[in-house]
Formats: sequence, structure tokens, C-alpha cells
Amino acid sequence: MNILGISAHYHDSAAALVVDGVPVYAIQEERLSRHKGDAAFPLLAIESCLQHAGIEPDELDAVVFYERPMLKFDRILTCALRAFPRSWRAFPKAMKNSLGEKVWMRGIISSHLGVPGRKVLFTEHHQSHAAAAFLTAPTCHAAIMTADAVGEWTTLSVGEGERVANGPTTIRRFREIRFPHSLGMLYSTFTAYLGFKVNEDEYKVMGLAGYGQPTLVEQVRKLIRRTPDGAFTLDLNYFEFHTTAERSYSSRFIELFGPPRNPYEPIALDTAEGQRFANCAASVQRVLENTLVELTRNLHQETGLPDLCFGGGLALNGVANARILAESGFERVFVPPAPGDAGCAIGAALYCDRIHFGNPDRELPDHPFWGPSVDGSELARLAQEDGHFAAESQDGALIDQIADDLAAGRIVGWMEGGLEFGPRALGHRSILAAPHTTQMRDRLNREIKYREPFRPFAPVVPIEVVERYFDIPPGGTRLARFMSGVFPVRREWRSRLQAITHVDGTARVQVLEPAMSPRLHALLEAYGRRTGIPVLLNTSFNLAGEPIVNRAVEGYSTFLRCKIDVLVAGGTRVMKRTSATAKTQVDKIKQEEIA
Amino acid sequence: MDSARPHERPTAFDRMLTPVHRWIWSDTDRRVQKLLRFGETETDGGRDILRAAEITSDPLLRRLYLEHAIDEFRHGVLFRHRAAELLKVSASRSSPGFHGDWLAPGGHGLDDLQVDGESDKNMLAFLHLSEKAAASRFTVYRDVMQHDPPTRAVFEEILHDETFHMNYTLMQLARVEPKRHRRHLWWARLSRLLKAYLRLATGLGGILGSMLLTIQYFILLPPFAWLAKRAAHRERSGWTMVSHGHSDSLDRQY
Repeated sequence: MNILGISAHYHDSAAALVVDGVPVYAIQEERLSRHKGDAAFPLLAIESCLQHAGIEPDELDAVVFYERPMLKFDRILTCALRAFPRSWRAFPKAMKNSLGEKVWMRGIISSHLGVPGRKVLFTEHHQSHAAAAFLTAPTCHAAIMTADAVGEWTTLSVGEGERVANGPTTIRRFREIRFPHSLGMLYSTFTAYLGFKVNEDEYKVMGLAGYGQPTLVEQVRKLIRRTPDGAFTLDLNYFEFHTTAERSYSSRFIELFGPPRNPYEPIALDTAEGQRFANCAASVQRVLENTLVELTRNLHQETGLPDLCFGGGLALNGVANARILAESGFERVFVPPAPGDAGCAIGAALYCDRIHFGNPDRELPDHPFWGPSVDGSELARLAQEDGHFAAESQDGALIDQIADDLAAGRIVGWMEGGLEFGPRALGHRSILAAPHTTQMRDRLNREIKYREPFRPFAPVVPIEVVERYFDIPPGGTRLARFMSGVFPVRREWRSRLQAITHVDGTARVQVLEPAMSPRLHALLEAYGRRTGIPVLLNTSFNLAGEPIVNRAVEGYSTFLRCKIDVLVAGGTRVMKRTSATAKTQVDKIKQEEIA
Repeated sequence: MDSARPHERPTAFDRMLTPVHRWIWSDTDRRVQKLLRFGETETDGGRDILRAAEITSDPLLRRLYLEHAIDEFRHGVLFRHRAAELLKVSASRSSPGFHGDWLAPGGHGLDDLQVDGESDKNMLAFLHLSEKAAASRFTVYRDVMQHDPPTRAVFEEILHDETFHMNYTLMQLARVEPKRHRRHLWWARLSRLLKAYLRLATGLGGILGSMLLTIQYFILLPPFAWLAKRAAHRERSGWTMVSHGHSDSLDRQY
């Protein structure tokens, strides 16, 4: 049975293909269109899925969209009516936006793919999140929590899932919190207030929080109140996201927290103003964590289950995830590699397979590498054409060579195997570097990633030695499998792991099992043999404002535009050194033309 | 190939609009907003040209596109930095009501660039015309910026690059299509005209649609708004139980 899952139209659209109950391919549209956060209908991703499996659209048994468009439209229209007459500016935009395309998903999918309308199905947004979190996790019975800004109406839901090997699956959502009361919107409002891009830069708020003190917690608590039944409600007097499209916070919000940050001015953390913004970030982060911990603690008491599956955009908050693990009572917390809306493409397809069609449960591969494989020969060809030194070697020799490069302080663009599905680079499209000094961190920020200095870099470490360097609680290695938790770096190692240790002494560590990525694991070991510390800095292979690279040619063009020293794709290693021919040719044209 | 290579020289149309440009650029807030938008346009253009570098099979074009893309990214940074400097000294942070984007567009101006699926010759023709138009406009912007030497210097520097871009694209077009490069330029001109018409039509359609929806909003919606507000008062805060019968069927869009 072939089932295609699609998520689209809000942010980060994606497609995923499930064949006989097992995901075989999944990719975000941005990785193919090369537009970061591409929300367009994912035609390229769909084509890529079908091409990979070698099937035609008419061989699909179902195409599942990750949410119910008319239910979403119901929310948008209702909110516009409730905000009358303040919503007069937002109303035409919202209607054109929805009625122009978004509500006609059955027809759009049907016409693009040529499948009959009866084959087009719809899951609820948070059903898709729940399925993505539970059905991909190696657990048979778990509590489920999903939380994001908003789906159709739901902003947070709790429930439980149960599956029997080769038997039936159930996912039950007990209850939900509905728009406009939303933890995701609370966090996004602060994201906008702090001058970052909503739906894109929330992780910057988390990074900035490390530099501040939660001195404004009482003020944040005025915005969000707990209800007697253990849920929460937002005081809407402080927000405008539910009434206008222009601004998410109100004038009362500004009275409470002061003027918002100008997005074009850098955050100077040594000034009072910069510290105020950091304190704002720390305060909303603290309130978010406390709320999530309390919600999950109640869920644990209610279900009595040892495992929690957590999905939705809020599950990207690694600091909150670590606190949930430590304080909620759950022994293990599972966060999928793509907990956001892109991951809903897999979730919707799996939900359809297990629940709608009632197919038996299947054991799924536990990795994030669902995208296309990189072609080392493509890199070799490009490098040769441009006069760079390219060498192809066997695995052992290549890994030794790269370990030498890293030990010598070189920065390596590392591409191997299938592309990661989700926002994190987990070792197949990564920039790797020595993690020991702040100079390396500053160099990466300044010369390669071109990003704010307050943002931390993540480490990758083999599972066998993780506890030596990081203070990982029981169950923490699972959370760290896909870089979903932030844990303390052991004090005695902080001075030797400066580039990956955040200002608060923590790191968003990736714990690597050999089976998940054998070559990277071998590289870590080889690096450890040279330096005594088998830990590498692992950051996503992209430049600011660009999606993570997919093909070798994209890695190559990134390599040429920044100060990465070495590029690896499959078995091909390229050193940045331009030969006379290629460089001179361009320079000559430039000089002639300018003259 | 054209005997005389084009250099930065404003078109008659741009020259005619010089007083308008002078007025648009005279206001500091407007200047900030425009520079910020130019920064975005240049960066977006850079990404498109980078994509062209990644998909072309011609090694020389790949290298030239890459240089071009790097220039565009740098221009984006120059514009943003200058805007940030102006913001620091600007008394007001309010956004002026009129930006004059149609009259004073940035780098690739109002052009839409569809990179994937384009042949090198079409891409080069398109880039040449866009760069030529940008060079013409930037010359005017530079000339009306007498009162703001740092911003003028930014335009001066970018103009230097734009001249290279428009020249290399023409030269490469003649290389990859020696016999029919003029025809490609004409096709590109026609395509720009068509796109301009489509933009205008879409823009007008959008305005009309907004007007109709706004009229409907005020005429038809008030009673429903009253009902919706009444219903909202009855909603209890906190948890809502999930009713399973409703969400079980995947056939429904509701």
C-alpha cells in the first residue's frame, strides 16, 4: 500500500511516502526549491518521493493532507468575526489567502497528481503531530503531548497511544487547548517583540535566554494564567495576533515590557537594553518550561506510563524538553527528528496507514535520513572543472584524512548518505569542526555562518563516552539522539569544549549510536584518537538565510562562498585551493569588462 | 554582439523621473525603508543567481554566476548596514505611508526570476536586461543623493559591480548563442513586458478584491460578528474534551 503524506501552506512544507507501512522517503520542499522555509504546495518534494520509489501517482492508494483546511478556515473566519471591527484590515488578506488556494486542497491535490478526489484524505493537524511523535518512536504504549502555535483550532493536546507488534494501533487524544490560548503564540509573540522572525527564529530566543536572568517572570505570568482544571489561558489584552496580521503584541504588552527591539540593530549584551532583551527571553523561556513541566507531570500522573511522545513545534525547545525529562516523572521522552509541521507529512501518512486503513503495526527504522543520497562523483566533477584538488578514497583512509584535517583546526563540510528530514543537521549534511576553543566558535559565526554571536553550536559525541563529557540524566541519550535536549557540559570539560559550551554551561548535544551513522561515528573515534576527546562541533551545512544543502553541488557552492576548508561528499574530499586556470579566467573577464 | 558595450547611463525614462526620485529619497525614514527593501531584493537576487550557478552545466558560467551571487549578497549587506546607520540617527522610527517602490525599485527591481528550468541563454538575457535597468536606476539614485554622501558611496560601489554584471552577461550570451543572442534579448524584453502586464493586472485584481471584501466586511458581517462574539463569551477557558466521533473519518475536510 502506497500512501503519500503532504504538509503545506503555512511554513516548511514537505512530502513523505509510506510504502507497506514503512516510511521510505521524506523531504522538505525548501531542500529542493532552495527557498528557506518554503511553504508552497510541495510539488518538487512530491515528485522526488514518487521518483525515489519508482511509482506513478495512480499507484498511490491515498494522499493525506496533514490538516483539515475547512476547519482551519472556520477558525480564521470566526476570529475575524470576533475581532470585528478591528479586523477590517486583516479580513481581506485572510480571505484572499484562504479562499484563493488553501481551502481547496482536495481539488488542488487531485489536479496536481491526477488522483481521484476520493483518494485524498485529511487528518487533523494535531493528529498528524501525535502520529509523527508516537508511531515513529520505539515504544508500544506512551502518553502523547502535542504543542505548537495553532493547528485548526487546537494549540495543545494530550492523549495516549498504544500499538501491538503486527497488530492494531490506537491513538486517543483526551483533551485539547484551543486558539487563541497558545503556548506557541506566547513564545512567538516574544520572538517578534525581540526583533526575530516568527515561525523561524524561535530558537534564537532560546539561545538568547542563556544570557539573561528570568527577572521578568512575574510580568510574563500576567500574560498567561493557569486555569483550575490544570490548563492555561492567555490574557488577550496583551496580544493582537488574534485580531490583526500586523503585530502580535498590544500596546499594553509594550507598557509592561518596554519598547520592542529594532530588528536591524544588533543585540549588545553589555548594555542595559541588550540585557533587558536577554532577560525577556529568559523569562518567557522559564514560564514556558514551567508550564510544560506541569502539564506533562499531570499527564504522567494520569496515565502512569513511563514514556512520553512529544510533537509539535514546541518540541524543538531542547531546554524545555530536558526539564520535562528531569521533572515530569516520565522515564523516556521521544521527540521525532522533525517535530514541526514538516514532520506532519510522515505523521499523516502513518496515521492513515495504521488507523484509517487499520494496517498492522510495523517496526520503523529509527533515523532521520529519509532524503536523497549525496553523489560524491558530482562533487569530484565540479571540483575538477574548477581546478580544485579533489581526491576519492576508501572509507578508512578518508576518515583518517578528515580526522587529521579537523585536528589541524580545519573546518569541514561533511555530506554523506541520505539527507536529514527535519530542521537539524544530524551528521549527513553538517559542518564539522574542533569543539575546543572560543576562537573556533567565533570563526564559525564570523566567517561561515554569519550569525549572531550569542547563538551556541552543538556537539556530536559517540554514545559510548557521552557521560564522560556531558551530564546526561537517565533517558537523556534518547532525547539527545536527534539533538532534542539541552544538557550540562561536565564542569571539568568546559574549558576544553569551549566552542560548544553555551554561556550557561549547557550544550544541545547529539548522541550518536554507531548504527545510525557509522562513518561519522568512525570519524569521531578517529578524531578522539588524535586529540583525546571524541567530540566534534556539528552545525547545519548552510549559510544564514539558506536551507540546509541537499546535493553535492549545493554543498560545493556553499563551500566556495565561505571559509570552509575541506568539503567531503561520499568518498570525495576537496580542498579549497584554486588553480591558476579557473581563477584567472574569471578575473580576466572581470578586468576586461570593468575596463 | 553589440558594438558598443553598455555602461551606466540612465535611460530617458529614469532621467525624466529624476525629480520624483529626488523627492522619494529626500525623506530619511523613506530612505531607510527603501534601503532595507533593496537589501532584501539584492539578497533574494543573489540566491536566485546562486541557484543558476548550481544548475548550469557550463563551468565558466558557474564561476561567473557565483561571483555575481557573491556580489549581490554583499550589496544586500551594504544596503542593510547603511539603513542601520541611518536608523540610529533617524529621529522617527515610523514607516512613511508612501515608499514609491514602483517608481524607485531596487537591484532586480520588479523582475521575477524563475531559475529552475531556464536555459543559460534565457537566464543571461534576463540578467543582462535586469542589470542594465538596475544600473540605469542606481545612476539616478546616486545622482540625487548629493545630500547624503555615505548612501551615495554605497550606490557608487554597487553601480561599479552592476556595470560588470550587465557587461559579462551580454558577453556570455554572445558566447553561448553567437548567432541568435539579439533575438534572445528581444524575447527577454517581451517577456519582461508580459510580466509587467501580469503584475499590473494581478495588482489591480488584488486591489479590487480587497475593496469588495472590505465592503462585504462592513455590510454583511456585523450580524454574524455579533453572534460570534456572543458565542465567544460562552466558551469556557481551559481544557476542551476531544470528541472522537468527529475526528475519526479522514474523508472530511471539517
